[in-house]
Amino acid sequence: MTLSRAQKRGLIGAAILAVLLIGIGFLTVSFGSRYQLRIVYGAYVNLMVVLALQVFMGNARITNLSHSAFMGIGAYAAAICVTPVAMKKISLPSAPWGLNAFELDPVTSAMIAIAITGAIAFLVGLFIVRLSGIGATIVSLAILVIVHSLFLYRTDIFKGNQAFFGIPQVFSLTSAVIVAVAMVFIVRMFRESRWGVALRASADDEVGAMSMGVDVHRMRLIAWVLSGVLLAVAGIAYAYFLGTISARPFYFNHVFLTLAMLILGGMRTVTGALLGTFLISFGLEWVRWLETGPAVWGIDLPEVLGLSGVMLGTVIVLTMALRPAGIMGDREIEDLVFRKE
Amino acid sequence: MNALSFGAEYALLALGLAIVFSIMGLVNFAHGEMIAVGGYSMVAMAALALNNPLIVIGVAIICAMAASVTLERVAFRPVRYADPTTGLLTAFGVSIILQNLFLLFVSPRPIAVTSLYFLEWPIEIGGLRISSLQLFETLATLFVIIAMMLFLKHTVLGLAMRAASLDFEMVRLLGIRANRVFAAAFLISGLLAGIACVFIMARRGSVDPHLGFDPVLKAFVACVVGGFGSLPGAVLGGFLLGAIEVAMLVMLPQSLGGMTDAFVFGIIALVLIWRPDGILTPRREKGDKE
Amino acid sequence: MLAVADLRVFHGPIEAVHGISFTVKEGDCVSLLGPNGAGKTSTISAITGVARATGRMALLGDDLTTLSVEARMRRGIAVSPEGRRVFSNLTVAENLRLGGAIQPEYVRSRMEQWFDTFPILGERRNQQAGTLSGGEQQMLAIARALMSGPRILLLDEPSLGLAPKIATQIFAMIRKLKDQGMTILLVEQNASQALRLSDYAYLLNNGRIVAEGTADTLGINDALMAELTGL
Repeated sequence: MTLSRAQKRGLIGAAILAVLLIGIGFLTVSFGSRYQLRIVYGAYVNLMVVLALQVFMGNARITNLSHSAFMGIGAYAAAICVTPVAMKKISLPSAPWGLNAFELDPVTSAMIAIAITGAIAFLVGLFIVRLSGIGATIVSLAILVIVHSLFLYRTDIFKGNQAFFGIPQVFSLTSAVIVAVAMVFIVRMFRESRWGVALRASADDEVGAMSMGVDVHRMRLIAWVLSGVLLAVAGIAYAYFLGTISARPFYFNHVFLTLAMLILGGMRTVTGALLGTFLISFGLEWVRWLETGPAVWGIDLPEVLGLSGVMLGTVIVLTMALRPAGIMGDREIEDLVFRKE
Repeated sequence: MNALSFGAEYALLALGLAIVFSIMGLVNFAHGEMIAVGGYSMVAMAALALNNPLIVIGVAIICAMAASVTLERVAFRPVRYADPTTGLLTAFGVSIILQNLFLLFVSPRPIAVTSLYFLEWPIEIGGLRISSLQLFETLATLFVIIAMMLFLKHTVLGLAMRAASLDFEMVRLLGIRANRVFAAAFLISGLLAGIACVFIMARRGSVDPHLGFDPVLKAFVACVVGGFGSLPGAVLGGFLLGAIEVAMLVMLPQSLGGMTDAFVFGIIALVLIWRPDGILTPRREKGDKE
Repeated sequence: MLAVADLRVFHGPIEAVHGISFTVKEGDCVSLLGPNGAGKTSTISAITGVARATGRMALLGDDLTTLSVEARMRRGIAVSPEGRRVFSNLTVAENLRLGGAIQPEYVRSRMEQWFDTFPILGERRNQQAGTLSGGEQQMLAIARALMSGPRILLLDEPSLGLAPKIATQIFAMIRKLKDQGMTILLVEQNASQALRLSDYAYLLNNGRIVAEGTADTLGINDALMAELTGL
């Protein structure tokens, strides 16, 4: 296979990002406390989500709000497969279709979860790719609400807002770093692939791209399903590390959080996705610490619940007002390191 | 009657969203926070021992309007001529900020507001027992819709707003001040939210930071169903949504009660797939000048 | 009346007009002529403030460059833009009413005056503007512009897309306006018709003025005209 110039640059860019990711992961594993490990892990999972989001939003330029739902589907599907029967007898005593009567190894479970999420994403995608702009966004919103209602309502399968516990904790930070690095390569290569290029061209000028023979709907569907699959991976990584999941994290708050990350960094590029994720993840951690009312230089600051939300919203509003294309705009990391041709 | 009053509430809110969308292409997700602003202003009045119902209602509506116009000034001016996605995300941001400000400065927990209970008493019409609140709500909505129609048809500002939905630049080329048109749109939008707020508060009797989120989500959907930016569409969508929701409540077995939202949103998704531009919007070829 | 100097107009990063200067005297009809893409419409957009531009523009000595679109219109500029842009979802009367929004006290009398001048608009006063024919829409666009009682009228391609007979009617209307003392800046591709009623004309090509003069001096140079206007 021969690579185009853009693809070669893409590989270099992805490699630079990978080095950064591995570096941060290595530092944390070596020197971080348990608490810090957890935060960094959360950042890597969110990075996966944001990367997956970038695949569709960044290339097709359609705002998607359902990503947390797909992450949830992946997480629950894997959790249901992998949790030991003994555990499920306790946590899901009345699950239908013998869901509590089998258990699989983590790899098979993950495969099944990815397949299920991918299939659902494909079915939904068939409809969503035909809509454009705001219409697609609204349907994605509807999907989020529907999936969330299902999680809440079928407590016999998903346990609703209660914790679904007993998932084997097979993932460590190291595995998350590996998955995230793989994802950076996948997402970046998709961006530079024939499909990604066609999709971006169609986002700039849909009619023009169509008249050039680009099947915009098919391109969008490919990106949508890839995005869904990657979200499932993120969900699985989340479940396999924490060991418990509930419906709450897969709803609006998480949607906005990850969306803010992508927007801040710049949704058009993979580098932007990564930058936004880390800025907000660590920035938010700092704000949360302020929220608890710490003592700074001997002054007891008051407890301020909601500060992190205010900051998050402010980040979105300011980004939109001052730099709608995000910090990175159209630049990838290699454009900063090397001169743009 | 239930369907009518639900529908009326959604129609009020949907109209408020549609009027802003039609002139500036902004999906104002922060609309729900106007309702919350109204709600909190009632709390403030209760604290000041202002219990005259007319004052309470009036001040709540004025607060919602003021908040709406302020937002236009502060948050939405920079993204005025930006694409809809930028506007949508900005509105999301504003919504998050406001919700958390309520959380921060007031309280994360619901606060009871009892000053509007007087609106609710059962009345009997031709042997049918209905609640006065529902009657008021339906009537108020009808009144507002008629008033809006008159405004849009007979005042220069109303005409300018209708014209702006087609070609804002041309409106400016006639010397009509864009700021005034935007301010008017947000003022009306806030007024509608304020009226909806009165009824929502009278029914719920309490306010919390997320008060406006659910109703606006639904109103948003109503807008889409009716055809985004079409004002009659917003009204139609609102009432349709109210009808669907009540029908779901009646028809779905008790055991599926928690699934109402899922079904409602499912139907909405289907409607959109059937008519991607909404029911009342004429089909438009892609590439047509907007 | 209107003085423009060293005007450069930009569309995004592209410079469409490269430093042109011209003046329009009170009571004159001045034409900007030239082929497609010469920068005529860009010049109009710069004067109205819609397009980003550098240079100096003054109306009766007042600097325009820092003013918003609305403020320029309120100083006495009115425009019938390219493509007419009547509000198709509003009726004829509503279109006119908006045209007079900045001088509401005259709306009623001026509207009646226009309905007398163009009985066809009067007949269709309550019809949606989108249902009018191209020529009627052009009349409406000009009438709408004049509802504000402007000092200068900018006309951008008023004959574009109209049947020759209708175009002639429009030009007759413009002549009538001129005879009434209206100052007009006319942009046209149809050079011969435009020259016939212009006091002075500028020929634009590729964003530069390549020739200027009175109708007589320009009209003689047929070869140049043919090359630039493609006629």
